[in-house]
Amino acid sequence: MIEAAINLLLSAQNEDGGWGFVKGKLSNTESTAFALMALKSLDAKPFDRQMAAGLKWLVRHQRDDGSWSLNDEASKQSSWTTPIAVLALLSFQDQNQRISRAVKWILAQEGMKPRWFESLLFRLSLTRKTVELDPYLNGWSWTPGAFSWVEPTSYCLMALKKSRPLVAGGTDVEVRIQQGEALLYDRMCEKGGWNYGNSKVLGEALWPYPDVTAVALIALQDRAANEANRRSLLALQGMMREAPSGITLGWGILCLKLYSEDEQKWKRMLLENFKKTRFLSETKALALAVLALGEGASLFRV
Amino acid sequence: MNRREFIKISLTVSVSAVFDGCRPSIRWEREAYRKQAISRVAILEARSYQASLRDIISRGIRLCELDVTGKRILLKPNLVEFDPAGVINTHPAVIEATIDSFRSLGAREVVVAEGPGHRRDIEYLLTASGIYDVINEHRVRFVDLNADDVRLTKLRSSFTNLRQLYLPETLFNADLLVSMPKLKTHHWAGVTLSLKNMFGVVPGSVYGWPKNALHWAGIHGSILDINSSLPIPQFAIVDGIVGMEGNGPIQGQAKQSGVLILGEDLVAVDATAARLMKIEPRKIEYLEQADRFLGNITYEKVEQVGERLDRFQQDYRVIENFHALKVLTG
Repeated sequence: MIEAAINLLLSAQNEDGGWGFVKGKLSNTESTAFALMALKSLDAKPFDRQMAAGLKWLVRHQRDDGSWSLNDEASKQSSWTTPIAVLALLSFQDQNQRISRAVKWILAQEGMKPRWFESLLFRLSLTRKTVELDPYLNGWSWTPGAFSWVEPTSYCLMALKKSRPLVAGGTDVEVRIQQGEALLYDRMCEKGGWNYGNSKVLGEALWPYPDVTAVALIALQDRAANEANRRSLLALQGMMREAPSGITLGWGILCLKLYSEDEQKWKRMLLENFKKTRFLSETKALALAVLALGEGASLFRV
Repeated sequence: MNRREFIKISLTVSVSAVFDGCRPSIRWEREAYRKQAISRVAILEARSYQASLRDIISRGIRLCELDVTGKRILLKPNLVEFDPAGVINTHPAVIEATIDSFRSLGAREVVVAEGPGHRRDIEYLLTASGIYDVINEHRVRFVDLNADDVRLTKLRSSFTNLRQLYLPETLFNADLLVSMPKLKTHHWAGVTLSLKNMFGVVPGSVYGWPKNALHWAGIHGSILDINSSLPIPQFAIVDGIVGMEGNGPIQGQAKQSGVLILGEDLVAVDATAARLMKIEPRKIEYLEQADRFLGNITYEKVEQVGERLDRFQQDYRVIENFHALKVLTG
């Protein structure tokens, strides 16, 4: 299967060197970064040309302020694609300067918090709280200036933790890592795991999503002994059984490897599911599958 | 996001009454105005998902005098989440029957497209919901609108301060956009029907999951600005065979209603669907505003064809914050 997935990935590379969400779509930062990581994890000569073209695309698309946008059409800064680009660059030589600029940009981003009038109204409200989260915790949003959510916060945590040894300004990095971790634990679902970032609405518990849970757990891998992590790891495995998609199993296997859990049966499930759907030929799902079936976990180890 | 919505809802209840009579200024461009004198809405009985839905939907399309010959039709179901025990999404049987109907009526191509608002994992949502089997069996193209190429589009109304939005390219390459919502109550907006369903055309790859920018900008204003700015004509088919009441759009309870609602005027369709749930459409902020320029909600300006509405009217429960919407109760 891994050959088939690699071939699908290679055939989806655009002439400009990047990858789109699926074959034929405009190259974007996320897809290009994941495809690059997948090829890099194979560490095989035959892909040098494709990797060089992909890396060139990624480097060319870093903005002057250090961030990346989604693609050439949606050209504003993107808080979630920038850390993913950093993760990809970290696997290549001689990228420290670019990584440092990106980290500086990430550190300058903060999720939106309630303004004084909204805070006042909420505090005075006698009605049941609509959501049960701390809106003052400082994480990262999908787009600059918006509210903080789990997935972009997780990507930023991974990027910051992995680039720690390379960047100056260690205190800022440590403070933001602590804040981001606090946000993730605050947003965790009752029985473990994460969804996009709401654990309860109108008093009713919401359920977690496997892909987001795996991403958050990877971001928190250096807190593996925490009871919350252990609970979420169990929840993840339950969800992987119920939602065996390429994205879920790809992220899930990478996460289990990083937590030293056995992942063999999930690999078999990944192979079976690929036969059924070919993961809709989505670049990210294919790349995650390649990473999960090979040695890709090392690229996410902090 | 949600906190802000809570505040907006609270403010709406208390403040809207004060400003109700003030006739706010016109907030739309001339091109956005598309209100007809009378809007036709078809109400058709469909007792279950095993009924001959293709015949029922074809009849509804004919009753609405919709010509689809040679057109590329984009079906936009509601596929926001999945819960095996819930009724969150448009039922695959309705999607399948709609594909069949449009094809048999001469459509050039039928495409299914959605950009789920909560979950990014489209492979899971499609396979778990049963829609994957439908599109595979009928060899229909599916487009993940969250992952489509995008085009920056100027909004034709200004109920939010967004001014422009990225919209998926697929939308510009179709001739007709068919909104296919589930008949549901909604814990922030009151109801979620064919207009609210259009949140799914806004690409998550740009705005995130949930589609945060829209919530911060205001849920009612966003619904209006998106719908006023869609680049192609629309049609609606509401899956009210089994609807959802209570804490919708995700955690509400199933409610058997046995009905499909179709029409070209999405505002009139949604007003009719709200009445079916015994919810006063004029109490829904975005419907009240939409009535000024996008379509009709006044009962006398909606020509109901097919079955009588009162045959299907039921008291759909709403959350406590929205009890004021239930003036039709009883």
